Amino acid sequence: MKTIEGFKMRSLGKDYIIMGEGASQVNFNKMISLNSTAAYLWGEVADKGHFSEDDLKELLLRKYDVDEATAAKDAAYIAGKWVEFGIASR
Amino acid sequence: MTNYYKVAGHEFGVSIPDGNPLCGQLSQYEPFRIEKGENCIFEVEVVDKVDDPADKEVVYAGPEDPEQPLVKLYKSGEKWIYEMAVCSGRPLAARMESNAAFTRGRVETLSEKGALFGLNNALMLMFAFRTAGMNTLEMHASVIVNGGKAFLWLAASGTGKSTHSKLWLKHIPGSRLLNDDNPIVRIMDDGCVEVFGSPWSGKTPCYRNEHYPLGAFTRIRRASFNKISRLSNFEAYALLYSSSSGFKTDPAMGDALHATFEQLVMKCPCYVLDCLPDEEAARVSSAELLSIKD
Repeated sequence: MKTIEGFKMRSLGKDYIIMGEGASQVNFNKMISLNSTAAYLWGEVADKGHFSEDDLKELLLRKYDVDEATAAKDAAYIAGKWVEFGIASR
Repeated sequence: MTNYYKVAGHEFGVSIPDGNPLCGQLSQYEPFRIEKGENCIFEVEVVDKVDDPADKEVVYAGPEDPEQPLVKLYKSGEKWIYEMAVCSGRPLAARMESNAAFTRGRVETLSEKGALFGLNNALMLMFAFRTAGMNTLEMHASVIVNGGKAFLWLAASGTGKSTHSKLWLKHIPGSRLLNDDNPIVRIMDDGCVEVFGSPWSGKTPCYRNEHYPLGAFTRIRRASFNKISRLSNFEAYALLYSSSSGFKTDPAMGDALHATFEQLVMKCPCYVLDCLPDEEAARVSSAELLSIKD
């Protein structure tokens, strides 16, 4: 999978948001709010550009005390959401 | 002739050739005129000709709405080019070129009828872009002052911002209109948030050189009932983002505007008012907004 160019994550107090920025996202008029887990994952993969659901699972396992099946399920869920919101593609 | 103005504490200069009809059309700027601009953040000059470079690339083109002014922003090398028409389908009113830092602009007016419209828009753009890094927002709002505080109504054009201001003027004692379209909001060096009148106020001639501490930002939303509610931080951010001028897709300007939005969201009361265009709407909003404690 890869992240789509032109989305910048920003802090908003203790929370995080992603807005469409950069010339490629002039017509993006959504704002996505992220919880701290999603912000951690996006922060890790956004700069690299490419990632897999497995990478997300590994990142979750590294930081949180969860079993592998739960991490895999959460990784698939969030990857699906990112595609749905238009900030990542398969 | 060169005139100097001070808006929201920011000084700028405007030069117009003697004899140009625009010289006699600047009454809306008069309350903001100062004798000498010693600390101008930008200067705009009305000139006979602004080149229309063949290599210009569109970086922003506004929606083609017959009710709304049409604006297009281009880059040509380091320069920014800005074109505007009164609405889509009408000939261009003006073309401006600016240096990369938005400190020097040159404007060519392309029709006598649209000259003031063109100059106003050129100055608003220079002001918004130049002050983006100065904790300053040029907002699309109507503003009522009551009890020494400024209350902004925010919404897309045609939703009822001016209407809600009129309801306060009629039904809520002590209300005054500060600006009906483009007030300036600035976080001052001491951290206080102040709302300033400006020489730009849409169709309502209300050009007051006054400023007041911010009372609240309130989004106006049409509904079949009247109810006011606090916004979450996310909703408040989206409201300020969509109601402020500036070119958010430019990385430096985007960062600067974000810093201002974030501070305002954390400091200021932000509401949504679901409302009808009636007296009760003003009663409902004023009951809440005028009871906000510092």
